Amino acid sequence: MIMRLCTSIQFASVVILGLVSVAVLAQEKTSTARAPITPVIRNSHPGDGIDVTDYGDDVREINLDDLKKMLQRDGKDTRPLLLNFWATWCDPCREEFPDLVKLDADYRDKGLNFIAISLDDVTDIKSAVPKFLNEMKAKMPVVLLNVNDPEPAIKAVDATWDGQLPATFLYDKDGKIVFKHFGRIQPAELRTAIDKQVGAKQ
Amino acid sequence: MKKQYALPLFLAAVLIVVFAAVAGSGRNASDLPAPPAIGTVIDDFTLPDADGAAHSLASLKGKNGTVVIFIATKCPVSNAYNDRMEKLAEDYKAKGVSVVGINANNTEPAAEVKAHAAEKGLKFTILKDDGNKIADRLGATRTPEAYVLDTKGKLVYHGRIDDAQKIESVTSSDLRNALDEMLAGKAVSKTGGAAFGCTIKRVS
Repeated sequence: MIMRLCTSIQFASVVILGLVSVAVLAQEKTSTARAPITPVIRNSHPGDGIDVTDYGDDVREINLDDLKKMLQRDGKDTRPLLLNFWATWCDPCREEFPDLVKLDADYRDKGLNFIAISLDDVTDIKSAVPKFLNEMKAKMPVVLLNVNDPEPAIKAVDATWDGQLPATFLYDKDGKIVFKHFGRIQPAELRTAIDKQVGAKQ
Repeated sequence: MKKQYALPLFLAAVLIVVFAAVAGSGRNASDLPAPPAIGTVIDDFTLPDADGAAHSLASLKGKNGTVVIFIATKCPVSNAYNDRMEKLAEDYKAKGVSVVGINANNTEPAAEVKAHAAEKGLKFTILKDDGNKIADRLGATRTPEAYVLDTKGKLVYHGRIDDAQKIESVTSSDLRNALDEMLAGKAVSKTGGAAFGCTIKRVS
């Protein structure tokens, strides 16, 4: 009995160690590998709230009204929505991006809509922003929010948000914020919140 | 017999601790203390400058009011405001208002704060808030983020410096407007303005 117990503990430890090394290796791979700059066709879903099906590798510029429309969800869509506000000049945004790309790949087919909203300067819309996205092999739709006064845009998203980046918001099917995080995301925490919305663990 | 599973057990324990540490690092929106309400008297505090010399807020306050701005060395938004902050400090010094910078990023040590201030020509006092205790007390989340205290240390403004990172696009100089109203003996009409900025890098 004791023999069996300790074998199973040994086995479990080996499995856990194995998983950890795989995770560490995978992380190193994404952070060191620099993909060549080739166009990537981004995924989209009609219910994203804005038409993102026809712009392929481009990053579309949106204004305050577009953002509000995106947040209203206009009743046509019944998918949970993840929004990540970021910029190429923001270090923690860049650091968390590989996690977001992976999350997009893992959840889009399970019913999650994900839009990354860049706060880069609009003059970077055809240079720094797509260059970074291509390096990241990002496939989620990406828009660049160009507003004169940031206050109405920030407060349209969340009254408790003061504009610190990165900021990540998860909306349920009805468009209500069910999870938010300011600063670098904790992938496990975010995935737990998403699982509840896409019903993977119900 | 027992020794056989001592090592695996130890490894498992180590892994659990590591996982717990990773999961616990970083802080979420809800963990941060709320900023004091407008009208709250801010208690005095003491922090070292980039040379290690301690200053109390009381010793730095202006005759007619004090501006406290959370700044950063690496944040491009904060850096976009260097000239504006220095100009503001110079313009309002003559009006009896002092400007105090606070760097609360645990990723930016005092030596870096000092070199950055010299390079960017920031002449107002910059304090180093190791452990982000004052950022926590003031509920500061981003850089740049400004607070205005009146002669009694009462908070009269908390928010952005203005509405645009590019100086040529500014249409609303919120911080200057608040200072002008305070100096004119009026109530500050607009506070709490939001603007995109860099998250303050807190200790976990």
